Amino acid sequence: MKILVAVKRVVDHNVRVRIRADGTGVDTANTRMAMNPFDETAVEEAVRLREAGDASEVVAVTVGDAGSEEVLRTALAFGADRALRVDSEAPLEPLAVSKALAAVAGREQPDLVLMGKQAIDDDSNQVGQMLACHLGWGQATFACDVALADGELHVVREVDGGKRTLAVALPAVVTTELELNEPRYIKLPSLMKAKRQAIERLGLAELGVDATPRLELLGVSEPLPREAGGERVDSVAALVDRLRNEAGVI
Amino acid sequence: MTTYRAPTQDLRFVIEELIGLDRLSGLPGLEAVTPELLEAVLAEAGRLASEVWAPLNATGDRQGCRLAGDTVALPEGFAEAYRAFVEGGWNGINAPAGDGGQGLPELVASATQEVWHGANMALALAPMLSAGATALLRRHGDASLRERFLGRLVSGEWTGTMDLSEPQAGSDLGPVACRAVPDGDAYRLYGEKIYITWGEHEAAENIIHLVLARTPEAPAGHRGLSLFLVPKYLVEADGSLGARNDVHCTALEDKLGIHGSPTCTITYGERDGAVGYLVGEEHRGLRHMFTMMNEARHKVGIQGVGVAERAYQQAVAFARERIQGRRPGGEAAVPILHHPDVRRMLMTMRAQTEAMRALALLTAAEMDVAEHSPDEAARAGAQRRVELLTPVVKAVATDQAVATASLGIQVHGGVGYVEDLGVPQLLRDVRIAPIYEGTNGIQAQDFTLRKVLKDGGEALEGVLAEADDVAEALRADTTLAGLGDSLAEALAALRGSTERLLRDGEGDPLVPLTAATPYLAQAGLVLGGWLMGRAALVARQGGETGSQDAAFYAAKVHTARFYMRHVLPQAHGYTPAIHGGSDELEAMDDGHW
Amino acid sequence: MGVLVFAEHDGAAVTEAARRAVSAAGALGGPVDVVLAGGDGVEAVAASLAGTGVSRAWLCQGAPYADQLAEPLAGRLAALVRAEGYEAVVAATSTQARDLLPRLAAELDTQMLTDVTAIEDAETFVRANYAGSVLTRLRCREPVKVLTVRATNFAPPPGDGASPAVARLEPGPDPGLSRLLEVQATDSGRPDLGSARVVVAGGRGVADAGVGELEALADKLGAAIGASRGAVEAGLLPSDAQVGLTAKVVAPDLYIAAGISGSIYHVSGMRDSGVIVAINKDPEAPIFEVADYGLVADLTEALPQLREALEQP
Repeated sequence: MKILVAVKRVVDHNVRVRIRADGTGVDTANTRMAMNPFDETAVEEAVRLREAGDASEVVAVTVGDAGSEEVLRTALAFGADRALRVDSEAPLEPLAVSKALAAVAGREQPDLVLMGKQAIDDDSNQVGQMLACHLGWGQATFACDVALADGELHVVREVDGGKRTLAVALPAVVTTELELNEPRYIKLPSLMKAKRQAIERLGLAELGVDATPRLELLGVSEPLPREAGGERVDSVAALVDRLRNEAGVI
Repeated sequence: MTTYRAPTQDLRFVIEELIGLDRLSGLPGLEAVTPELLEAVLAEAGRLASEVWAPLNATGDRQGCRLAGDTVALPEGFAEAYRAFVEGGWNGINAPAGDGGQGLPELVASATQEVWHGANMALALAPMLSAGATALLRRHGDASLRERFLGRLVSGEWTGTMDLSEPQAGSDLGPVACRAVPDGDAYRLYGEKIYITWGEHEAAENIIHLVLARTPEAPAGHRGLSLFLVPKYLVEADGSLGARNDVHCTALEDKLGIHGSPTCTITYGERDGAVGYLVGEEHRGLRHMFTMMNEARHKVGIQGVGVAERAYQQAVAFARERIQGRRPGGEAAVPILHHPDVRRMLMTMRAQTEAMRALALLTAAEMDVAEHSPDEAARAGAQRRVELLTPVVKAVATDQAVATASLGIQVHGGVGYVEDLGVPQLLRDVRIAPIYEGTNGIQAQDFTLRKVLKDGGEALEGVLAEADDVAEALRADTTLAGLGDSLAEALAALRGSTERLLRDGEGDPLVPLTAATPYLAQAGLVLGGWLMGRAALVARQGGETGSQDAAFYAAKVHTARFYMRHVLPQAHGYTPAIHGGSDELEAMDDGHW
Repeated sequence: MGVLVFAEHDGAAVTEAARRAVSAAGALGGPVDVVLAGGDGVEAVAASLAGTGVSRAWLCQGAPYADQLAEPLAGRLAALVRAEGYEAVVAATSTQARDLLPRLAAELDTQMLTDVTAIEDAETFVRANYAGSVLTRLRCREPVKVLTVRATNFAPPPGDGASPAVARLEPGPDPGLSRLLEVQATDSGRPDLGSARVVVAGGRGVADAGVGELEALADKLGAAIGASRGAVEAGLLPSDAQVGLTAKVVAPDLYIAAGISGSIYHVSGMRDSGVIVAINKDPEAPIFEVADYGLVADLTEALPQLREALEQP
């Protein structure tokens, strides 16, 4: 089985993002960047499947500018065998990303595509499902357990109110929850090796992808802060009184 | 409990911008180091350190180590955390690729070592001591010893120790009595060593002791000492582990701090003699040992920076949350971070830690040049600088670490004196650093007599000339001009001290010995000023070209300003003591004490 | 013409979130139709749409739809959108909607919008990203707009009026790419966290008082149980109860945070609640900054006291 794992470079989850003064977007210049945490889980799962003998090759792919090769190196250090980047200077919308990935899947012919359920910057949670649609494959989103059984995948999905287990025919697209696994600590020798590995580059035009934006960004802002000025009550009785008689919520 | 996060931003700033990676990337063997690699290395080391090592720091302090039969039981989790470090390939970070290492520069290795020490100093001592033993074996061991022992020391599968001290031989190793008797092509060792850090444990499969001992017929004193490799388990020709050697831990010290690090009394030859192998030449053991002394001392300085950084992080976190007292004119109680005196303490901690980090890493970069430069003159110049700066890094960084850990307690107030939050541990742990690997008093002597007075102050002047340029550049910058004045005045004070010691020391050797500690302290502040001044200049331009965010550069400039205005002027306070001679001390009759 | 709402239901009635999605759809202009996917019982659900202003309820019945399989459902809905000429498809954000709608959008070759928090006009939307810390205003001129909306940001429809007309959809083809093996419901007998009117949430501090106390209070109030990340990590409460940025975002009428310190992460998941109560023994816990009522108290005492006080009229 060959696995294609899609990763994205995002602002590190520990960084509190700043909005550009002119409100045209989030300031990512000189900001600590990292692999999308959900994608780390996906890479880890792919490498585990290969280590378990269920997969023979893991290919990491990203869509982004040259700087985003950094997360491909991380994927290689995790243990991916190869890496390729679809070059795009501008960040693409999920639909365009899914089309680029579909084109890559067409060339690579993987049996399984793994990726995080969403990227923590855009929070769109769309690419995996869209990719599955373009390819005409089955999908299993929000995976918290993945097992190969009789040539198909059994995926436990984390959904509202519980879990749902799907059997998905291969090839398929699976998107991952953090609960799926605990990503390994990357070894220093793996980092050094990843540094020397070649990264294949593909152009959007070469892949025949029309990435024209469909949405127009009008501006970004911070949510309004919740008004402060709550009251400290000194007893449970006082609290119940306020909830009953002042707020009227019980 | 306290948390720790690797200060990757400042580490990267110092390496990439203050020192400049280009300084290394031209050196043969070090081409691979790019900002991206550095970032990844620091991020991954930081992750293991903060997620696995740091949470065990308090465990180590509480549980300590205990003798358990023929071995030492470590605190819970220590063995696993050490193995995770080894499996991650971190132990061999700066070892040559030919020995199974990663061949990264000392500069990068030092940055990661700071992180390990900040996360868990007691645990980080294991690889620190191993590194010393490994370096000795690499440089002085013959091919067969290297073949048998080096690879697994580099990987960290085995740990190494440095067995020097005996009860009667501490700072002066001349009286070492441990005996080594020839036995075929090996030796049998008999005797006892104390203060052997990580001398016994089961976190690694084998322990390789490097032992100073005396062969029969050897001359007395330093010149009669030879260096021996004594493995805990003998190693067969095929590399497999053989019989348990006659070397045992017979006692553990009960210490002020670093409870997670077993400090052992090691006894050799209780039964049939401990099998040992001569490393290098007979009677040159101490000389061999000195070839790695700079590294070992430098690492202790790095350790100081690591613990100081943790104390600072902890104090800031507390000061942010603790609400107490009002600002002048304010209505509501505020986090204590907003009180001027708390800010002063935090800024002092931060500024000194950043200054010493810069100096320690700069010294590491000089080590790389001294080792790798194809240009002989460049190598010699760098080596001279390493010799000069090492005692400063060791002594000043550790003294400041103790002061910083103490200030960390002060920021917490009463809570800091209580063990619950883990605040006192840092002070107790780091208090050893001014003592071991040559006390700071010995560093001061080394610096003053050997590194400055011996060459007439030439090597030091080479550094100060660079600092003059920084002072000039600061003066030329309208917003930083005052900092340039402050630096220039401090440089003048240090030059004055040097001249005075050169003059007065000629006639009276007691003068420089008395002045050594204040003189080193003054030099430490001034060298810190040199680098903080440079940091301010770099950070001013950082917004456009640097790799860090704007807030980082702004904070760096504020910190540098504070250093120049509040910390550096303390250098002048040492002048009277340096110039004062030794009369008062000598005047005290022994009976007066 | 018109908007199609994909409405989730519990087999008897559409969810509160789905009702709010209907109001959101109304803001796009044009008549609002609803599609209900499920088995035979779905017919009964249509009645619960009375008064929502929905014109028509499509019943999409069949095993693959009842099993919530995205592939056949997305295909069937795409065909419906094309056949009826809908200009928009809306659903309340949920795991099912997030699974289904992107696939539907890809079928329709449209760039969808996730987690819309405000609809300014038929083409202008605000959505939350960067884990709720950034609001992005966008113009979308796609011929068919596909969006999930954050239901708590939209008012429920007025609630009186006629029932919608009911129409049955012919089942579409099932590509047979996936099949449902098992459903494990976390069945607590409590209301769904996402739509509960009252949420009682516990943090690490609950350990002292015991999770049982928290549950007893929740049951007294008919509340859902929420959790901070700390409580989940400490194994006190299940991960699907976690409230926060990338977990559940909730906005009940009453949110009681018990033993929760109030990290930014947690607060961004509940800041839109009507009334926030914080109970914590640490008077400096940041949660007090967002609370309408704060009580500094030990949970071991406060939780039982609160439950008893609620029993008094």
